[in-house]
Amino acid sequence: MNTLTRKLIAKELYVNRGFMVIGSAAGIVSILIATQGQIGFNIGCLTWLTTIIAMGVMLAIYGVMHERKEHSLEFVLSLPVSIADYVRAKVIGLWICFLVVWLVSSVAALLLVFLKESVPDGIAPYTVLLCGFMLANFGVLLCGMFEARSEAASTAMIVVTNMGISVFMFTVGPMNGIKQTMWNAAPSWNETFWIVLGCELAVLLASFALPFFLSARRRDFF
Amino acid sequence: MDNKHIEMRGVRKNFQFFTLDNLSLDLEAGEVMGFVGPNGAGKSTTLRLAMGMIAPDAGEIRLMGHAIPAAQAAAKRDVGYVSADMRLLPQATFGWHMEFAKSIYPEWDGGYAATLVKRFNLRPEQSARSLSLGERVKAVLLLALARRPRLLILDEPTTGLDPVARHEVISEFMDVLRDDDRSILFSSHNTVDVERISDRITFIDRGRIVECSNKEDFLDRWRRIHVQLPAGASLPELPNIVGRVVDGQFVTLTTDRYSEGLRTLIGPYVREVQRMNLEEIFVANVMHCREVRGS
Repeated sequence: MNTLTRKLIAKELYVNRGFMVIGSAAGIVSILIATQGQIGFNIGCLTWLTTIIAMGVMLAIYGVMHERKEHSLEFVLSLPVSIADYVRAKVIGLWICFLVVWLVSSVAALLLVFLKESVPDGIAPYTVLLCGFMLANFGVLLCGMFEARSEAASTAMIVVTNMGISVFMFTVGPMNGIKQTMWNAAPSWNETFWIVLGCELAVLLASFALPFFLSARRRDFF
Repeated sequence: MDNKHIEMRGVRKNFQFFTLDNLSLDLEAGEVMGFVGPNGAGKSTTLRLAMGMIAPDAGEIRLMGHAIPAAQAAAKRDVGYVSADMRLLPQATFGWHMEFAKSIYPEWDGGYAATLVKRFNLRPEQSARSLSLGERVKAVLLLALARRPRLLILDEPTTGLDPVARHEVISEFMDVLRDDDRSILFSSHNTVDVERISDRITFIDRGRIVECSNKEDFLDRWRRIHVQLPAGASLPELPNIVGRVVDGQFVTLTTDRYSEGLRTLIGPYVREVQRMNLEEIFVANVMHCREVRGS
């Protein structure tokens, strides 16, 4: 990785510093709300989910779509970078920004599961899978945003990946290996868990790598 | 030694509703080329092709001796690019942008940057989001100029600026020109600015180069000849006439190859021979070209 790519990654972290701070704080506050009784738990879980989803969407919108639409991409591409350098820096930079929020929120959620007595530890595998899904979902969204040639296509990507969260809840939640152990006192890291996690990991790796092969090879980036 | 800052040969770029076709362009070191065309003529596309932001479907492009788009990162080290549409990163201040540029370009001239900040009345602590149009153009121009690039590619940089801001910006271009090794490719539909600083001019219309020549050559060759014919008289067959407007006995001829011989051919009916400014030449040239192409 050359020096300029590193500077462009640092630039991503700088311009998205607000998102990282607000997102991480919102993730922690959501978990604190979740510790306040049943209603608090429901509200906290909802705001926790919303925070992670919203951060991914905001990063994709402001990091990719707006940069193109508002012509600040023209400024970045006027620097001595190739398209591949730009895509590399952008993908890594936005992934780091999202990872900060995701990591803080995920750790906070797992702490809630393991430390709060009223929340059974059995829900931990599902929490891990949900966190993993949201990470992979962000990867898919970012990958799609790079390839989307229009605002309509970008918006469609956001809608589809948002719907993905509901699809995950409706499909993974009812799975036997997950549902049957979810309310147990101890977590069950069973086969179902590892299969789903493996799928998430595969999607995550593919969505992280694809921009390097597709977007970085695009001939027209403006 | 090859001293061309930009070389474009037979470049073609297809879009759904527009094609830039068979474009060839050379910009020598130390030269200022005005790139003039109506809206949608292909000026911005040409400059983005030169910068490697888009790739040609055919033809060859070299920028500062490097093949484009393949070696654009190396080529752009010596190039400052400014466009009227360009915006800085809205989440950062203008001062951050200066620090960012300084960290990238070892040639960054801090003293010159400070001078330009004062001259352009910019505030480094101001957020890029809150810059007005004039401030925005001056800010991106400062970022391009302070790194002392050997080539400046300017895409309509004065569009939308008030006369004072335009004067400030053009004056800075004039300063750049004091260095013989630095060149400028300046696109605009404002012929006044182009006429002021360019020494070569290229006209482009509907994706094709119409003509490329020295500014003085354009101004020397093009003339408008006002003729008053007596009743029953007609003009002989005249060479190099690209425009003819008849209003009764008054005929206005436009020529792109004026000579005393042409005046002699017309004879005693010539009332006045007018020099044309660049805007008039540009319009006449484009209209003639469209006629020849049959559109």
